[in-house]
Amino acid sequence: MAKYDAVVVGSGNSGLIAAIRLQLAGKKTLLIEQHNLPGGCATSFRRGRFEIEPSLHELCDVGSESNPGEIRELFDELGVKVNWVECPDCFRVISKYSDGTPMDVTMPHGEKEFTDKMEYYVPGSRKKMEELFELYNEIKEGTSYTSKCAGHADSNVMKANYPNMLRTGAYTVNQVFKAMKMPQKCQDILSTYWGYLGVDMNHLSFIHYASMMQRYVNKGAYIPAHTSHELATAMVERFRELGGEIWFNCRAEKFLFNGDKLCGVETSMGKVECDMALPNIHPDIVYGKMVPKELVPVREKKKYALRKGNYSARMFTAYFCLDCDYKELGIENYSYFLAGSSDSEKEYKQIMGGVETNEYCIALCINVANPDASPKGTSIVSFTTLGSPVDWDNVSEKDYVALKEKTVDKMLKMFKDKAGVDLSGHIEEVSIASPWTFARYLNVPEGAVYGSEVVGWDNMMPRMMTLALDFPVKGLRPIGAAGPRGDGYSGCMITGNIVAKLAIKDLNEWAKEA
Amino acid sequence: MLNIKVGLIGAFDMLKFKNMAKDRNKTIDAAKEKEIVGEFKINQNAKALHPDFVELKVAKIIDRSAAGAKTFVFESLNGKALPYFRAGQYLSLKLKIGDSFVTRPYSISSAPSEALKGRYEVTVKANPDGFAADWMLNNLKEGDVIESSSPLGNFYFDKYRDKENVVALAGGSGITPFLSMADAIKDGAENFNLTIIFGSRSEDAILFKEELEEITKATNKVKVVHVLSNEEKEGYEHGFITADIIKKYAPSEYSIFICGPEAMYRFAHDEVLKLNIPERLVRRELLGVTHDVSKYGDYPKDSLDKTFKITVKQGPKETVIDAKASESVLVAIERAGIKAPSRCRSGECGWCRSRLISGEYYAPKENEGRRWADIKYNYIHPCSTFPLSDMVLEVPGEY
Repeated sequence: MAKYDAVVVGSGNSGLIAAIRLQLAGKKTLLIEQHNLPGGCATSFRRGRFEIEPSLHELCDVGSESNPGEIRELFDELGVKVNWVECPDCFRVISKYSDGTPMDVTMPHGEKEFTDKMEYYVPGSRKKMEELFELYNEIKEGTSYTSKCAGHADSNVMKANYPNMLRTGAYTVNQVFKAMKMPQKCQDILSTYWGYLGVDMNHLSFIHYASMMQRYVNKGAYIPAHTSHELATAMVERFRELGGEIWFNCRAEKFLFNGDKLCGVETSMGKVECDMALPNIHPDIVYGKMVPKELVPVREKKKYALRKGNYSARMFTAYFCLDCDYKELGIENYSYFLAGSSDSEKEYKQIMGGVETNEYCIALCINVANPDASPKGTSIVSFTTLGSPVDWDNVSEKDYVALKEKTVDKMLKMFKDKAGVDLSGHIEEVSIASPWTFARYLNVPEGAVYGSEVVGWDNMMPRMMTLALDFPVKGLRPIGAAGPRGDGYSGCMITGNIVAKLAIKDLNEWAKEA
Repeated sequence: MLNIKVGLIGAFDMLKFKNMAKDRNKTIDAAKEKEIVGEFKINQNAKALHPDFVELKVAKIIDRSAAGAKTFVFESLNGKALPYFRAGQYLSLKLKIGDSFVTRPYSISSAPSEALKGRYEVTVKANPDGFAADWMLNNLKEGDVIESSSPLGNFYFDKYRDKENVVALAGGSGITPFLSMADAIKDGAENFNLTIIFGSRSEDAILFKEELEEITKATNKVKVVHVLSNEEKEGYEHGFITADIIKKYAPSEYSIFICGPEAMYRFAHDEVLKLNIPERLVRRELLGVTHDVSKYGDYPKDSLDKTFKITVKQGPKETVIDAKASESVLVAIERAGIKAPSRCRSGECGWCRSRLISGEYYAPKENEGRRWADIKYNYIHPCSTFPLSDMVLEVPGEY
């Protein structure tokens, strides 16, 4: 039986960062991946002459070489090399303001540019926007500090440096916007990013939203030049270079224990001995299927009960490869947020009500950011919406394609009606990924990629603050979207990094004890 | 100095923040514990539609000796439904032949509705270098059980891309995906007009002649035109499937779907070019097109008779195997009895994607289906890669 210091199960964004971090610290690490490709969400697929990005819209917190964000710094530190391409603008949103008037707004990157544009759309908003960004910046610094402290932040430092963060930190986005007397139209525009976190603004923690939005506005957004498969493969390459081993098409079945301490992993390729395992797997699967019943911690069973199986909305994306340049079709922007209204709670409820009531979608044309994303004279447009269990739990195999098409029809119509763009007559390749597809390839609960909803007691900040308690099994440290920093590429990467450091600390201590 | 307050007293808000950890723990502690169930409805649905593999029993073998073929009627072991599919998709059959584990992709010729009754049909035709086809034709008997992938592939009608009228160019056993489509149109599972232009050697060698006739009688959405290459006969077109024949039978606006043996592809490709229809409206099924590597102009011909050693790493295992320059790396792996993943066998699907640690290879450009980063970081698709030196290769596992 092969013996490793650590086994990382799943080569998603969290798992890849964790594996590199461990190997970099000299820990002999095995990375196993159930699929024949690395990356989890960070992957690509081929259709005809196209290579298609399946999931990444914009990676948060990369920043430029001269103004690097946490992710670029992390990649530099770990020695991972990626060709980054900058995305233009934050977003274009075509929706309705709360007062029912039409909204068609394009917001740029950069604090000043964003503020100026907001003043243009909502005259008189400048001062409030400047205050908001001041608060955002404080929160960005504050969350970076708490991440570095990994659950051991000094409250005096916090009080001295991040007082506004502390005062707003226990509230939701809308509570804080309201307290700041942010003009309603500003609030409507500012709420656009909610879909990235899968929680509406009446329930999402202000800190979580602020720290994400601060990063998008200040550091811009980036994508790898050759899909996120480039990102994942570059990470695998670095891991290999450091001496790490990776097995594809290898499934972890069970975690093995010696008493109450983890001692190995049973995989489809045989047993592997190790001191530490980091499953890049939702904890409900780890504790529900992979750990002996008697060792499942009471705390995890209670968290499970509280979460009530709420994995947030399920993913749905349709990909269209076109035989013409996007400009010919009148596409002007990289990402279009199309919604029936700017009331995120209403939109979320309608999404969860199923395709009949869903009025939400994000249209994205990758070529606007990256002209070389497809062969010359072609382009790729994708549509992402969120799916509901109402539709996807019970549809039969026979009616499955019709439901997929019904969902896509609606998004194509929204794009045509709201943005005036019609793709018909140019479609060369099509692929539709439903929640079943995401479940098939990622094996995430219910095909939802959000981990567990970051709401109330289970918000990002409280998760960060109780890091020490949330890994109750010795030698077992789950990572991924259900982790402290929540979902999304950058959230998962940072979680992978934080938790791998905790794992390294454990391994070092155990080595000393021995 | 920014001083934002949400509640009335800022200090209380700070305390509220500070207590978030305590509150979280209190909330968790107060909850009633529940057994964690790691199973989910959508994941079960996905697994039912796309299992790692299915077991199939040979329920019946239909002899079609005039066409040099047999139809294998497979059934699920328990009589329950098999994964549903899109008409035109294929199965990657997993066969144990002697000491080798090999896969072969075959389009499903039966209708998707048959899957719900626990049945798939594939039709296998003898061909000169068809080692697995011959084995199936000579050895597989009723009652035998084999493993297969669930239905795969993207060769099916798509309402967003394809014209409502599809002209299918079929050669020999390339009729199978179109038979499934025709059946699906007949029973309402698919909704488009299908004109099948079907090339066979002679009238008595036409595969599924009666079945096709029956379908065209039942629905006016399906039409069949037979083209005989070796026989001139009343009621049949003669020769190969030319642009003129296509024009003669095609409706005004149409998509073209092509499936047939390699020689037919090459001929049809040139003929379709003459029609001047946009590339996006032409679809090809490339399943397992055999690679005679010597026919590629840029192949280094002096290598052809060489043999090499390939070190194959798979998880914790390492094996050194023999490989012929004239055969794909995948064939060498299969001959050595290593169970490695493969599906389409034409370079396209990428399921066999493996990491080349060292070694030189030749990969035909026309089958290049690799991702950008895979080319950069030296991954190959063994099914369409030919060794030019000794190699060290890491292959994925196979479920």
